[in-house]
Amino acid sequence: MSGVTPADLAEHAFLRGMADGHLAVLARDCWVVPVRQGHQLFAEGDTARRFWLIRSGHVALDVHAPGDRQLIVETLGEGDLLGLSWLVPPYQWQFSATAVQDTMTFEFNVDAVLAACESDAGLGYQLLRRVMSAASSRLQATRIRMLDLYAASGTVHGGP
Amino acid sequence: MSQVAAPVLPARYRVVERQEETQDTVTLCLRPVDQPIPAHQPGQFTMLYAPGIGEVPISISGTGPGLGLLQTVRAVGAVTRALCACAAGRVIGVRGPYGTGWDVASAAGDDLLIVAGGIGLAPLRGALLAALGHRGRYRRIVVLAGARSPEELVFARELDGWRRDGAELAVTVDQAAVGWTGNVGVVTQLIGRAGIDAARTTALICGPEVMMRITARELRALGIPAARIRVSLERNMRCGVAECGHCQLGPLLLCRDGPVISYDAALPLLAMREL
Repeated sequence: MSGVTPADLAEHAFLRGMADGHLAVLARDCWVVPVRQGHQLFAEGDTARRFWLIRSGHVALDVHAPGDRQLIVETLGEGDLLGLSWLVPPYQWQFSATAVQDTMTFEFNVDAVLAACESDAGLGYQLLRRVMSAASSRLQATRIRMLDLYAASGTVHGGP
Repeated sequence: MSQVAAPVLPARYRVVERQEETQDTVTLCLRPVDQPIPAHQPGQFTMLYAPGIGEVPISISGTGPGLGLLQTVRAVGAVTRALCACAAGRVIGVRGPYGTGWDVASAAGDDLLIVAGGIGLAPLRGALLAALGHRGRYRRIVVLAGARSPEELVFARELDGWRRDGAELAVTVDQAAVGWTGNVGVVTQLIGRAGIDAARTTALICGPEVMMRITARELRALGIPAARIRVSLERNMRCGVAECGHCQLGPLLLCRDGPVISYDAALPLLAMREL
């Protein structure tokens, strides 16, 4: 028993609206995992065997850059899904993830969740819709950041 | 010929303090040399004149000592570069204040949400301080601010004070190195984490126009009516008194009818490419 109840999961924004039966299946393969500030949840290139739903706190996705620098790609917080690479070949993390403050998560075992989705296409569909929504939101956000809206050309009453 | 009510002759103001906000942005603390311009409302702007160079519209970011003004200027052209370079003691021209304000008081009793992008925090600073000055009149005061990088965040030295005074503040940047403990992402990503009560929220947004549109769309999706979302629009303000027409946006002359307008009025205009 993981100790996580379907009601616990139902409160998370990512799973909001999911049927109780599906939540019950997910709850079997889920644990509440606290993550201390500074702890690395996964590293770029490692095999993606777990994913997380963030209940509180913040996690930074970062990437190594020349000159021994680590650049933060994005931060994720309460209500967010952490981890997309478990669904997409080659099933390796594309970035590293480190808690930037004490963080509470629901941690899921990927093998168990995928097996459950294989045997219940309805669960798989519901889960995939939510993953797609999260991926879509991040794609939109990335596109907006690529516009570099705060560059000097956008003055906003700072004057020409 | 129509009468011009607002002042069109610049008043002399002396730079009494110059605060560098970022690499290209400074806040000038200005004190009147002679008669001050009339009192302003948060959200209004002035025309600042760099002698011998030219005049630009700049939002008022606060009130300075001795009937003074705080104006935050970003060096993006000849006039703003000259203004940014003004050392203490220099005298410049100020006329105004012009345009509409945020009308912060109308949010009393409810939550106030302030969403700023880049230097868009400057026109909102006065609104925030006005609300914090009457903290008990509002339920929550939430500030979501986005910047290009931690180094390009304006008013960074004031953030802790705003928190102490009762604002819930979240900052996000587009780019950061490890060690930055704030958020990385676009400012709209903070909205979902802010616990917005759509039925009781008035939102004030200022930033690049694309950012304001996207933010307003997110807020409307949460259920905040367009009439309770206000944006500050920027066009080519020249005269400040609705005479020259340079700042026309559809039926509006933004130096008079703006810069702050309700999003239900802004939406059809911003959706029209020809405008």
